[in-house]
Amino acid sequence: MAKFEQKKDLQQTAKPVQQTPSPAGNRSNGDIVWHPAWRWLISVLIVLHVAAVFSAPWDLSTLAALPPGYQAGSDNLGRQAQLPPLDSEVWQQPIIPRSLRRFFRHYLNLMYLNHGYEFFAPDPGGSNLIRYQIRDSGGQEIIKGQFPDLTTEWPRLFYHRHLMLAAQTGDMGPESGRHYAQHLLSVNGGNTIRLEWLMHTLLSPKQVLEDTPLDTPQTLVVLANIDETAGARVGPPPGETAVTIPGGGR
Amino acid sequence: MGVFSETRGYVAECWQAWNRFWFRPVDPATLALIRLLAGAMLFYTHLVWSLDLQAFIGQEGWLPVEYLRRIQDHQWSVWSVYFWIKPVWLLWTVHMLALLVFFCLMLGLFSRTVAVLGFLFAVSYAHRVSPGAFFGLDKINCMFALYLMLGPCGARYSLDRVRRLRRGDTQPVAPSTAANLAIRLMQIHLCIIYLFSGLAKLTGENWHAGTAVWWALANQEYQSIDMTWLANYPLLIALATHLALFWELFYCALVWNRYTRPLVLWMAVFVHGGIALFMGMITFGLAMLIANFSFLKPATVRRWVDPVADRVALMLGGSR
Repeated sequence: MAKFEQKKDLQQTAKPVQQTPSPAGNRSNGDIVWHPAWRWLISVLIVLHVAAVFSAPWDLSTLAALPPGYQAGSDNLGRQAQLPPLDSEVWQQPIIPRSLRRFFRHYLNLMYLNHGYEFFAPDPGGSNLIRYQIRDSGGQEIIKGQFPDLTTEWPRLFYHRHLMLAAQTGDMGPESGRHYAQHLLSVNGGNTIRLEWLMHTLLSPKQVLEDTPLDTPQTLVVLANIDETAGARVGPPPGETAVTIPGGGR
Repeated sequence: MGVFSETRGYVAECWQAWNRFWFRPVDPATLALIRLLAGAMLFYTHLVWSLDLQAFIGQEGWLPVEYLRRIQDHQWSVWSVYFWIKPVWLLWTVHMLALLVFFCLMLGLFSRTVAVLGFLFAVSYAHRVSPGAFFGLDKINCMFALYLMLGPCGARYSLDRVRRLRRGDTQPVAPSTAANLAIRLMQIHLCIIYLFSGLAKLTGENWHAGTAVWWALANQEYQSIDMTWLANYPLLIALATHLALFWELFYCALVWNRYTRPLVLWMAVFVHGGIALFMGMITFGLAMLIANFSFLKPATVRRWVDPVADRVALMLGGSR
């Protein structure tokens, strides 16, 4: 069983060529060799860098808030109250994380740090799958398949990339699905394609104990269908805006 | 006057502690070990793109560059060499060059140069697939590449070291301030990762309820070993969920204490080992474990790795 080193005497026996700090060595600055001016400069850069690294996940995990006790009014037909539009002044924006990330955004982008770390958060959810069916000009099915697909995508990392493609369609919007469709048409040939974007929902422990298989058909929910013709021009749907780059969780 | 001098003393002491933390030279063994392992991870991760390079990285494919740049809002700072590479032969040439760079980084050949190139390539691939096919592994890979650039990552466990020995340069490896700086930044970055990963979980109901581990294990697309037999043991699921959440939340504090550090790091082995084994994310689980190695002291690393490294060096003709 490995021990995580804490004792100075072990340090001395294991690395004879390394400098051996005096008993008070841990508290002494005698072995620091960089010039103070250099250390000041690097210290400023360290603070800026750490602030930048901190600001991205902080901002991405901080949501705008409604005032405590906010009651959304119902319309004159008494229908369910709606949240106010995002640009409404009712929303209170988290000023500091937003400003910090905006200030550092180009540095964060350049270094690929502009993201959150929301692994399996806020809750682990189901997965997305994409099924497709390609037909020729006569309507005959040429090929059908799905991604991700463990039987054809190996090694596991390659499979996981396809899993992410299916999952991130939700973040990117419907145009991404149309690009997937055009890609599949260009690889497989054919005239038309139907893409089915599915959510594979999860079973509770009780359902599993009742011997319900994890892939029982009831767990697959169709979220959207995309019909595409080979060579069709894929452009942005009206009103689509850029997504946050490179994104939040995963 | 008393308050003034005490404050001045406090500030001076803080500055000394800051200097010790960031600028005390250390043996570069920990950084070198991380270079070896992270280099292997970077090489493997990018080798896998070769299976369908044009579809994922090329101009067209799953998500054409033109579309990606538009949804990235054409920001100049979101950059990738693959945004400009159009001919397929050039795409493959650059890809092969990138693989060579990652391979050299793993072996520690021309380490300082390939560390810089490795960072540029790692970010290039990551931005090309963000959004699209990226996930946590790309974030951790880029973090490794970023900090490996800063220190003498090839000072040990490298072909650079063997080459020096073969030239008759038997000077012991000198302690390095830059190595300490690189490792400290990696440690702080890892603490930030765990803190925000834990905080994000607090907004979910299942992490609080102690059921989240079940939903992670019951996901068929993720699972590599069927662990649904745990449905019989709700207490075990709850315990694992609560432990994982509190471990993530408090990692950034407990990992610095000499008594709690071993517990925190062993917990990392179980959590990330579990993710690697049971949830099909072998690469991500291993990458997080490698990142946790940044908290190993150089003496510990040397005790484990030196015997193997010495044998390899002897085989390659560079005796110690």
